[in-house]
Amino acid sequence: MKKGLILTGTLFWLVLAIPTFAASDKILLGDMQDGSLAQPVHLINLFDEEGQRISPDDELVLPFSMRGSCADCHDYDKISKGRHFNALLPDAEAGRLGQPWIYVDAATATQIPLSYRPWEGTYNPGQIGLTRWKFIKSFGRQLPGGIGEDADAESPDLQARWTVSGELEINCLACHDGDPGYDRAEYATQVARENFRWAATAACSFASVKGSAKKMPETYDPFMPEILDDPKLIPPTVTYRESAFDNNKRVLLDIVKKAPDYRCYFCHSNVKLQEPDIQHWMTDQDVHLAAGLTCVDCHRNGLDHEIVRGYENEASVSTNSLAASSSCRGCHTEGRLGAPQPKHAGIPPVHFERLSCTACHSGLMPQQKTQRIKTSRAHGLGTHSVNGSADALPHIVSPVFAEQPDGKIAPHNLIWPAFWGDLKDGDVALISLELVGKAAGKILDGGKASRSGDWPDLTAEQMTKVLVALKNTVAKPVYVCAGKVYSLDKKDQLADVEDSAAKPYLWPIAHDVRPAAQSLGSAGCSDCHTTDKPFFFGRVDVDSPLVSEAASTREMIEFQGLRPFYTKAFAFSFVFRPWLKIVALVSCVLIAGVLLLYALKALGCIVKVLSEEEQ
Amino acid sequence: MFQVISITGFIIVFAGLAFHCLVFPVSGKHKWSPVAVLKKLIHLLTVVLLPQQLSLLGVLRKLLYFLTLLCFVVLAVTGFYRPLVMDEHLSGYLLMVHATFAPVFALCVAILAVMWAHHNRFKTADWPGLLRVLRRFIRMKTADKQDDGGQSYLVQKTAFWLIIFLALPVILSIVLGMFPIFGTEGQQFLLNLHRYSTLALTLTAIVHIYLIIRTQMK
Repeated sequence: MKKGLILTGTLFWLVLAIPTFAASDKILLGDMQDGSLAQPVHLINLFDEEGQRISPDDELVLPFSMRGSCADCHDYDKISKGRHFNALLPDAEAGRLGQPWIYVDAATATQIPLSYRPWEGTYNPGQIGLTRWKFIKSFGRQLPGGIGEDADAESPDLQARWTVSGELEINCLACHDGDPGYDRAEYATQVARENFRWAATAACSFASVKGSAKKMPETYDPFMPEILDDPKLIPPTVTYRESAFDNNKRVLLDIVKKAPDYRCYFCHSNVKLQEPDIQHWMTDQDVHLAAGLTCVDCHRNGLDHEIVRGYENEASVSTNSLAASSSCRGCHTEGRLGAPQPKHAGIPPVHFERLSCTACHSGLMPQQKTQRIKTSRAHGLGTHSVNGSADALPHIVSPVFAEQPDGKIAPHNLIWPAFWGDLKDGDVALISLELVGKAAGKILDGGKASRSGDWPDLTAEQMTKVLVALKNTVAKPVYVCAGKVYSLDKKDQLADVEDSAAKPYLWPIAHDVRPAAQSLGSAGCSDCHTTDKPFFFGRVDVDSPLVSEAASTREMIEFQGLRPFYTKAFAFSFVFRPWLKIVALVSCVLIAGVLLLYALKALGCIVKVLSEEEQ
Repeated sequence: MFQVISITGFIIVFAGLAFHCLVFPVSGKHKWSPVAVLKKLIHLLTVVLLPQQLSLLGVLRKLLYFLTLLCFVVLAVTGFYRPLVMDEHLSGYLLMVHATFAPVFALCVAILAVMWAHHNRFKTADWPGLLRVLRRFIRMKTADKQDDGGQSYLVQKTAFWLIIFLALPVILSIVLGMFPIFGTEGQQFLLNLHRYSTLALTLTAIVHIYLIIRTQMK
């Protein structure tokens, strides 16, 4: 009886498991490698998210779904675990610190680095009450997709909104569409309208979307749309260009294996701000691009989309087999892709132990004070709603030469977190934005801030008022900014203290890369080793909404784990270096002269002895 | 690697010197007692402050010798401490002290070479064994002539010339690294050359100092 049960159980398990194994091992048509390097033509049928083939003359025209249209030939599930899409996966490798999403609310003087990855110094969006829905609303403009509803965390109201708006599926076309008409800015606009389901379709040159899910009632069903009473309510609808479809209802998608640079740039552009007269066309691009390479020549990935980030030691955490050889050192020591092998003539080897390659070759050339930059992801560059003001938050300063966990100094971008929190057991917990808005909204002058996107002019008096107001909702309210934690003492007077909770968030940068002739050190040791050079002694802007802290700066060396006096003394010692060289060379000439003189004398003796023998 | 080689080198040299002391003790009333060595060192260090029978050049020569000795001690301590004790590269304040004393040492060694080269030239008396061998092959007219009362300073002089010779790679390996001539591999080679030539120079200098003290104590 017992044996029979075990046998039945085993057979049952096998019956269930075999299809699972079969499915996971199956290589789909588009993922097969037959050896051809030709570009596959994607003349395909499009399918909506319910699996129905799309035709422009359908009664109900729906946006096409990436999963529905691509997953028949490509392993969508495997791709969804790739670097660009796996931030929400608990077992995804966080890797080296990267650029966070930065939540900004000028009206409440808030600037917080967020990430779903457990990067030290960032906060999980959930900590400030940003559900996935709100996260997409804030940052979906430059998300590659792959974020759906988290039913446990969303309120019933938001769950209904997900039904109306749909999931923000992985947008394959964001990177792989070679059609110059593919409009990422339109994608961002559709996300802002909460048309998540329609966003990828709307960006295509053969489709247009009008209407807004944002304005639709929670009961609206896009698959069975009813006629709305209010003529002002326009439901999201898509219209396909009929000529884009052939007789078999197929569409030619200009899919490229290698993502073009301009696709990467939509999310990965940087621009410096403090030289308004200098425009983009006056600047040099990354030396690798200038040499004819593309982003994906170095940042490669296979089907699993585990793209190489390119930093040293990445191989220890990455499953990408090219991770080790795709760092600066990897290519430039092996000479891959024609990478020149660096000579580094006259540079002592200790530099390669204490500095990353990027320290000398990447980012902005350091000046006496750090500069402000804007990035695509932080400022929505390239979207229709971008705030063109140079003062727009978040304020990112660059380059900051800081020590990395591996002990090497590398250039970083930096932001100073600014937020309202609750001090609990020595830790600062974030207060939800809603509560802060209620407490601070009337006290802070959000009007000015909202126009320029800059900080409001926060005074100590205003800060005190907000903290007093927050005392009604949290036990020990504090405000974090400029590396300090501000709180109220027993007499409700403002007090500040430097605290690790307020430390800035820095992430290493690697682009744009400058060639050897334009690198730090190309003009000699004095590029860094003098007492006034910015690499060690530059001033790092301390960004703060607090008026009294507006011009505050810190010395670069504070971020480098070096002793200030020693570094200053060491830099000063380079004044004497030319003398050292002269003294040493003169000494060598003297010593060599003496050695030569007595060597010749010795030779003379030998000659004399041998000559006497012959006589 | 360098740590192991250095420690082995120091052990061998100090063991060799100790062995030499035991097997060939200094004759006469001076013995290798700690007090005798201390007295000699104090005498050496205070010699320039005491009334001298030497000429001005002689005083300068001795002064220079002590300055070289001081630089040598400072450079040896700062240079070997981290590599030997902590197995790390020279860095921090030790590096700064090292780099401060290095040019003084280089200049002192160069001037010492000029001032002491003639005194340390090899003479026929330094090679009695070699002369005997040579006599079998050639007729040497000066073979029987003995300088310095026939006393041989072969090892001491050889140590002197080795120090002078090794000073060249020691100094050049650092100075050339400061010019944009050598790439990364070249720089690494120069660094290793500096390490090992310095080790050889230090060990030779220890032998040299030992022989000088021994000579003085006779």
